[in-house]
Amino acid sequence: MGGLLVARPAPTSSVVVVPDDAMAAARGAVDPDDAEVGRRFAAGDEQALAWAYERWSGQVHGMAVRAFGPGPDAEDVTQQTFIAAWTGRARFRPGESPLPAWLVGICRHKIADAWGRRERQRRETDAAMSQAQAAPLGGSGPGIDSVVADRVLVLDELDRLGQPQRGIIELAFFADLTHAQIAERTGIPLGTVKSHIRRTLERLRSRLEGDGAALPA
Amino acid sequence: MQHCLPEQLALAALREPLPDDDAFHLAACDLCRAEVASLRRAVEAVSVPELADPGPSVTPPPAVWGAIAAATGVTAAPAGMTAPVAAAPSAAAPSVGPSSEETPGGAQVLPFRTRRRGLVLVAAAAVAGAVLGAGVTAVVRSGESTEALTAVALDPLDDEQASGRAEVLVREDGSRALQVDLDAPALDGEYYELWLIEPQVVDMVPLGVLRPGSQTFELPAGLDLGEYPLVDVSVEPLDGDPTHSGISVARGELDT
Ligand SMILES: [Zn+2]
Repeated sequence: MGGLLVARPAPTSSVVVVPDDAMAAARGAVDPDDAEVGRRFAAGDEQALAWAYERWSGQVHGMAVRAFGPGPDAEDVTQQTFIAAWTGRARFRPGESPLPAWLVGICRHKIADAWGRRERQRRETDAAMSQAQAAPLGGSGPGIDSVVADRVLVLDELDRLGQPQRGIIELAFFADLTHAQIAERTGIPLGTVKSHIRRTLERLRSRLEGDGAALPA
Repeated sequence: MQHCLPEQLALAALREPLPDDDAFHLAACDLCRAEVASLRRAVEAVSVPELADPGPSVTPPPAVWGAIAAATGVTAAPAGMTAPVAAAPSAAAPSVGPSSEETPGGAQVLPFRTRRRGLVLVAAAAVAGAVLGAGVTAVVRSGESTEALTAVALDPLDDEQASGRAEVLVREDGSRALQVDLDAPALDGEYYELWLIEPQVVDMVPLGVLRPGSQTFELPAGLDLGEYPLVDVSVEPLDGDPTHSGISVARGELDT
């Protein structure tokens, strides 16, 4: 347990030794603004994870609860989101997007992953129940599971987009804004917004048609 | 007749209304409609309410942070995390030695009442032999007439150096105790605490302060071990906060 807290020898009878003092002093009197939390998060400052949780775990958990209802599934998504964000912080670019938006993006992945797991379990259960004798030929037809797989692919491809393409398409997908509203919100010219949307949708289509057709069971 | 511009078809894929000319053409042109349909596949995959931008905020239960802290090894804590974590209302302060915590949830049926199903020593055989040491067998201690019902290895979490073994003992009068052997470095300015935690790591029952070596903790009467199967060893700072620090160093799951 290397250096968990500042360990000061204290007689057990003494009332308080407050290691928190050391941390409070180190973090300064005033909490940093969101951008500073993002920069420190990217730099691996552990306090920044605590701050990020303080400020944005409600948003993330709200999404998880919306998808799965309150309970263990939602809690797992929230937990996994912050763990993945922290362990993957090297991929976070503070200059490109705010930390809460990045966390929300990870949360989408975790929700989609959980749907994928459920779908696989459902298929396995179906397969197990349908027949014991015939070898299952794995030919899962189109339908729910192909949407589940599409979802994972699209979210993955969104991660590969640069800005402003990613921000634009996310406003269309997740904030339900029209291209005119997006132009207004971002200050990007209308024509540019339209051509980014077009190119991004084409790119997503090739990704889906390229390796989305036949997915491993 | 002229087809719609590619940009317009992309907007149609997003279900934006098109100008009348384009809308009329689209309604009649198979080519343009096929284009919209192929672009729409991505839209339909992710443009669903569940993935939309965050709506109402919901505060996660405190144990979610505990699990994050345990998984990341981060020792800083959010400000809100000083609120009580444990379900046990009597957990005002960590008690030393065998504790007499009350059951959090009121009367419950003891899974061990119908015991003697072959002295359940199963978990032990299944888990990490390395830390099991002398193996787990039913112990009948002379004098006290005590049976070991189930035992579990406490495996180190991450790269922690703590490990050990926990064993549920049932006395003749039906009272139970948890005997713990902990192999862990001595602490300075911090202490180990023993917890029973439910599988979702939300509710937990503090059993008391733990030191390296062998100790026995009284189990609250009526506590359903099936509901709190995780035996957890945490490191607690001397900060007067009775809740779990979120720093777990060893853990095992009782197979009841
Ligand atoms: Zn046409």
